[in-house]
Amino acid sequence: MTSFLTALGNEIRKGLLFAWSERLQIVMELPFFTLFILLLGPMLGAGHQIAAGHLTWTLSSRRISLLLLAFLPANFFYFQAVKLFWRLLGEVQAGTIEQVYLSPLPSWLVAAAGRLIAAIIETLILIAVSYGLVSAFVTLHFHWTAAALLPIALLVITGVGYSLIIAGMTLLWKRIQLLQETFLMLVMIFAVSALPLITVPGWFAGLGRIFPATSAVASLYGVMLGHRGVTALWGTGGLVWVIITAAAYLTIGLGAFRLGERITRTRGTLGAY
Amino acid sequence: MTAITIPRPGASEFALRAFANEAGKGLRLMWRRRAITITAVLLNGFMYLMIQFFIGGGHLVLPVLALTLPALFAYVSAATAALQGSGGITEEVNGGTLEQSHLSPARPVLLIAGRLAALAVEGLVPAAVLALAFGLGYRPHWVIRPDALVPLALIVADALGYGLLMTALTLRVASIGAVVHVFNMAVMFFGGMFIPITLFPHGVEIVARFVPTALGVEALNTTLAGRGLSAAWSDGSLPWLLVHVAGLAALAWGTYLYTLRRARREGGLSPR
Repeated sequence: MTSFLTALGNEIRKGLLFAWSERLQIVMELPFFTLFILLLGPMLGAGHQIAAGHLTWTLSSRRISLLLLAFLPANFFYFQAVKLFWRLLGEVQAGTIEQVYLSPLPSWLVAAAGRLIAAIIETLILIAVSYGLVSAFVTLHFHWTAAALLPIALLVITGVGYSLIIAGMTLLWKRIQLLQETFLMLVMIFAVSALPLITVPGWFAGLGRIFPATSAVASLYGVMLGHRGVTALWGTGGLVWVIITAAAYLTIGLGAFRLGERITRTRGTLGAY
Repeated sequence: MTAITIPRPGASEFALRAFANEAGKGLRLMWRRRAITITAVLLNGFMYLMIQFFIGGGHLVLPVLALTLPALFAYVSAATAALQGSGGITEEVNGGTLEQSHLSPARPVLLIAGRLAALAVEGLVPAAVLALAFGLGYRPHWVIRPDALVPLALIVADALGYGLLMTALTLRVASIGAVVHVFNMAVMFFGGMFIPITLFPHGVEIVARFVPTALGVEALNTTLAGRGLSAAWSDGSLPWLLVHVAGLAALAWGTYLYTLRRARREGGLSPR
């Protein structure tokens, strides 16, 4: 048990050291993300204005609050999955990935746990600073309550599952950065679709429910802006669907990682020589 | 004892061979990963449709699609060049093969030119497929004339300059790969794939003009609207585009030489 905890602690420490070495990048990302949230608000649903050649740049408090809410999971997914992908790829290419199997920890835990705490810290910093910067331009109205921790916890589990799917694909196909980028954008787009920003057709809403962040964002909306509880069972943001999403992504993630691992170990292509 | 003289290639023949080898390597790798490329093309197309859906408030607004489709072409070219350029050089650094390629007597300019040629093809193929698919599928009201090829070529040059800059930074900045995704999002957002950059607030519009491919998309939109190159010249987008392409190329090339020299000096061509 002690060796298990030591190994886990070491992986978390390694993840935090990586995050610290990337602090300059986080600073570079902050102004972009803030500007992105502020500018995206007036664009949504403004197709006919844009076609006519003008756009009214009014910052709506409600709309920006909604976008910030959808932005939280997108950030977490970015920090957890994108950075896990590049780190894992680096280890595959350098041949150090095989050392993972010297650890007493399950390989999937080594891959995911090392990034998890770092991802949560990075997300918290980014969200806090983005919140501060955005609220300098527009008043944000959130209902801060401990109940929000439930969808956030389930979102973190979903994020771990998602990152393990990406990790499994990385072991198998190595350079999947093009897919990784597009997947992330789709996760972001469908997270926004969970919010009452525009009217989307039924098929669009149905498709959105398959994506990892959609139901948790809908639940967060209910508790932080819609003045509802998190215990309602049904619907896109209902507890049943949020739990199913988290459980399904974690299960599929574990399966995908183990499958990718087994195939590459059988082929002898775990490292790239 | 008999001495056999092996005919040595001339300088230009050697240069051509070094260039072709480097470009061929990139293209072979692309072919090996064709399943990923095809999936990425489909996902990019789907993502673009979803963005249009959001902008249109739940449906597609064709005039907006006509204005933003050139930016999809530009984004896919630039994002692919940056991601594959950065990913490629990271792979060579981690695998230790970048050092080997620099044992070659060929000048770095030849090696990087070969690499850029492969990146150009790798970016252009999916970009052209997507532009054709949406262009033929939705038939936007464009006036297609040969003069559109000028901004189109400059967009590709700008995208390659951006790709080279990211490749160069990979030699210096730790795990730049993850940041390339954020830069790519900036190219997508400020490059005109959501709305034409002329509709941004004035201050943001000025900043957006510095973003790779943004000016190219603006000039291309002008020519596709049937106003010709002269209009793009007189509204300032074409001359500024020329300046941008030249400036970005010089910056990227200078950064590449600097980071390469520094990596050689500090042993950064292989994993540290």
